[in-house]
Amino acid sequence: MTFMGFVFSAIALAAALGVVFNRNPLYSAFSLIVQLLAMAGLYSVLGAHFLAVTQVVVYAGAIMVLVLFVLMLLNLKSESGRKLGIVKPLVALGVGFSVVATVFPAVVAQFKDISLMTLQENLWKSEGGVKAIGQEIYGRYIVQFELSSLVLLIGIVGAIMLSKRKRIVIGPREGGLGGKQ
Amino acid sequence: MSSIVTYIGLSLVLFAIGAVGVCIRRNAIVVFMCIEMMLNAVNLAFVAFSKLQGNLDGQVAVFFVMVIAAAESAIGLAVIISVFRSLVSVETSDAAQLKW
Repeated sequence: MTFMGFVFSAIALAAALGVVFNRNPLYSAFSLIVQLLAMAGLYSVLGAHFLAVTQVVVYAGAIMVLVLFVLMLLNLKSESGRKLGIVKPLVALGVGFSVVATVFPAVVAQFKDISLMTLQENLWKSEGGVKAIGQEIYGRYIVQFELSSLVLLIGIVGAIMLSKRKRIVIGPREGGLGGKQ
Repeated sequence: MSSIVTYIGLSLVLFAIGAVGVCIRRNAIVVFMCIEMMLNAVNLAFVAFSKLQGNLDGQVAVFFVMVIAAAESAIGLAVIISVFRSLVSVETSDAAQLKW
């Protein structure tokens, strides 16, 4: 891992802890923006340049603007009045890191038989530029790409339906078939 | 090799932090943000494995995860707003009508 990889990893870890342990949801949201930008830096270190740009535009841009907009609309107060206690976060952190300590050696054991040489050779082979990603998406993954546009359309319709203020009557109305008798 | 293993470890730790946040926070919007963080941790693992394999399949998977996450965030925030309209609260412990 390069020097910049370590820097971005440290920023991502610190900001992730900030998301969980800030009392004010607004500070959590700003921590999450920092974390997403650090993840974009990590993608860039790994050679996935297109994903780094997409991460900044879609996640740190669009999704977080939506979250901040909802936080502003709901006008939430900080949870400072309610005590979380000290035991519950410690127990949760213990459980979380015991999960990591269980899974991580199993993952590391998978990489034992791969020699260092092939990895070094592969290390800079996959360049995630716009051209390469576009050729993959519009070539082998064209059906999935079209289906994802359908998912986005359903998402838009669902969001509008859910946030409409007026209730939508489903089924027969008065004066319709159900009203005649 | 150690490079890839470091990224996988970082991805695991970020996922665990997100899961801990989902468990201990009561604000639905913060829970939602922790879910986004877990998705990002998995994305990092995808990119690291894509680097390991030397092809772009993992990065295309990350692209599709981002598409689904965008749709999910739109619907999730709409659900949170409609819950706030009926309960005047986004605390997860207040939305307990289905609790037995």
